[in-house]
Amino acid sequence: MAHKFAVLLDEKRMGAIKGSGLEEKVSSLFGGALQTFILEVPEDKSKQIMDAFDTARIDSRGFITDLPIAFNRTIFEEIAKSKSLGVEALDGVLKRVSEIKKAAAKESESLPPPDIDISDIEKLQKTPRQTG
Amino acid sequence: MGELVIERPAPHGGRLEERVMRDPALGKKLAKGCPVYDIKPTLDEKGVPVRNVYREIMSTCYGFFSPVEGSMKQAEVERILKERRLLNDWVFPYPLVFDLSEEDYKKLGVTSGDRVLLRLKGEPFAILDVEEVWRIDNTEELATKTFGTPEGNPEVVREPFDKKMPGWVIYKSLNPVVLAGKYTIINEPKFKPPFNRFWYPPKRSREEYDKRGWRTVINHQTRNVPHVGHEFLMKDAAYMGDTEPCHGIQVNAIIGVKRKGDYPDEAIVEGHEMVHLGGYIKPERHLVTICLWDMRYGNPLESMLHGIIRQNMGCTHHMFGRDHAAVGEYYDMYATQILWGKGIPSFGFPAPITDVPYGLKIRPQNMAEFWYCPKCGEIAYSGCCGHLKEKQKFSGSFVRGMVAEGVFPPKVIFRPEVYKVIVKWWREFGYPFCNPKYVKEKEERLEVDLPHMEI
Repeated sequence: MAHKFAVLLDEKRMGAIKGSGLEEKVSSLFGGALQTFILEVPEDKSKQIMDAFDTARIDSRGFITDLPIAFNRTIFEEIAKSKSLGVEALDGVLKRVSEIKKAAAKESESLPPPDIDISDIEKLQKTPRQTG
Repeated sequence: MGELVIERPAPHGGRLEERVMRDPALGKKLAKGCPVYDIKPTLDEKGVPVRNVYREIMSTCYGFFSPVEGSMKQAEVERILKERRLLNDWVFPYPLVFDLSEEDYKKLGVTSGDRVLLRLKGEPFAILDVEEVWRIDNTEELATKTFGTPEGNPEVVREPFDKKMPGWVIYKSLNPVVLAGKYTIINEPKFKPPFNRFWYPPKRSREEYDKRGWRTVINHQTRNVPHVGHEFLMKDAAYMGDTEPCHGIQVNAIIGVKRKGDYPDEAIVEGHEMVHLGGYIKPERHLVTICLWDMRYGNPLESMLHGIIRQNMGCTHHMFGRDHAAVGEYYDMYATQILWGKGIPSFGFPAPITDVPYGLKIRPQNMAEFWYCPKCGEIAYSGCCGHLKEKQKFSGSFVRGMVAEGVFPPKVIFRPEVYKVIVKWWREFGYPFCNPKYVKEKEERLEVDLPHMEI
């Protein structure tokens, strides 16, 4: 059975595809709050991905999820390189499985947290409503 | 009107068990001269902790599991496996035992009638009054009987259980010797922050409801940081009450052994707290609580335990969704609704467990799912929204992927305050989810510390 895969597009990735023609293929989710590429993954490619990464699963929407972050990063690179959401991008990723696995091993130990201001929640937590 | 009003249910079994000695002098006296056993985690075949019996002792002694008072005798375990009932007839889903190895049993040298002092983190914690010593002949058989089989329980079991099922692994990993008898905590553990803010064992939760003027309370079971879909589930399910919506919405987080990829417990409880600190549900109507338990993921059986825990806490209603407390596809995705809606004869329930003798009194609120509908322009309930092509489902794993990539989730997925709690604990642990390091260290530090006690 064919599945799908969503590649998240933040500002940096949107900037990287500017002028490539890929902008037209961007799908909007959650009322325009999230931009993604939605890839159709044929059954044979889906099986290869599932076999290569033991954390991978198919969620209730039929999307392949729980892949290493390195996989997501690599697939974006391959999409940008091939300017396609087709099997070329998937083939490019599948050729780089060992590289992804190496990066994933490092990422399973530690990931840099986003550099955002959380002082507002720290302030809220200073006056909890439940004190135990 | 009067008969339409729902009153708080009595505890399961008729009264709350509270087996906590609050006078340290008396506790010391009870434990003096007893053989000592240091509590150890249950390890799977790879040596990974899958359970710590201290959590069962806590939840038993503080009344979450009333009317259970301790480690079960052989006859009680056999009755549970056959009929899901305790020896006193009250329904109960799981065997709960204090197990130890033959080697440790030999060293301990106790028998029926003896008392054992149980130490946790090197300090006196509880006593166990041994009433029976028995042996589990085959832990794999016990594990399989605990959760059922496709042949024996065709109404709900779809696949045979195996080592990918955490609950099955827990029972399979038990030691062979069981000391059965009542537990009494003699040295109350102190919860570490942030867990201390959320410790409302049944006696206290009932007092808290009284203080808040809550007669009807609906419980939300969680092991997750709440996304907006969870928040809407809570808000909408709470419209069910009696002549008015439920007065209170209680979140009860199950705190126990973690699996790789789960959110850390600290982020889960503070994430839920942020729902009321951020004002998305008024703090006056929202209470975040915890219960210690190493989840078995037994779907309908786990829902029965959840019903018992929350009825003991004083809740009138309990939300249940699809795939409640489930992992994999071992059970039918609606197995919990089947148990509460019509019963599961092969588990001993020819009728819903609220309609059998010595059954539960808490009312199920079986909910379907919430999704985002761009056409409705809102979070919609699947039972209402007809835009099936346009719907955008909340997928926990998709959301986890977004978090891992460091993408600030849109407000329609995570409230910004809730997401920032994830980031707070990400900075603390160096990772947004439970990785092997977190799992290992958590089982060493636990959620509690114990005051020093000389005996």
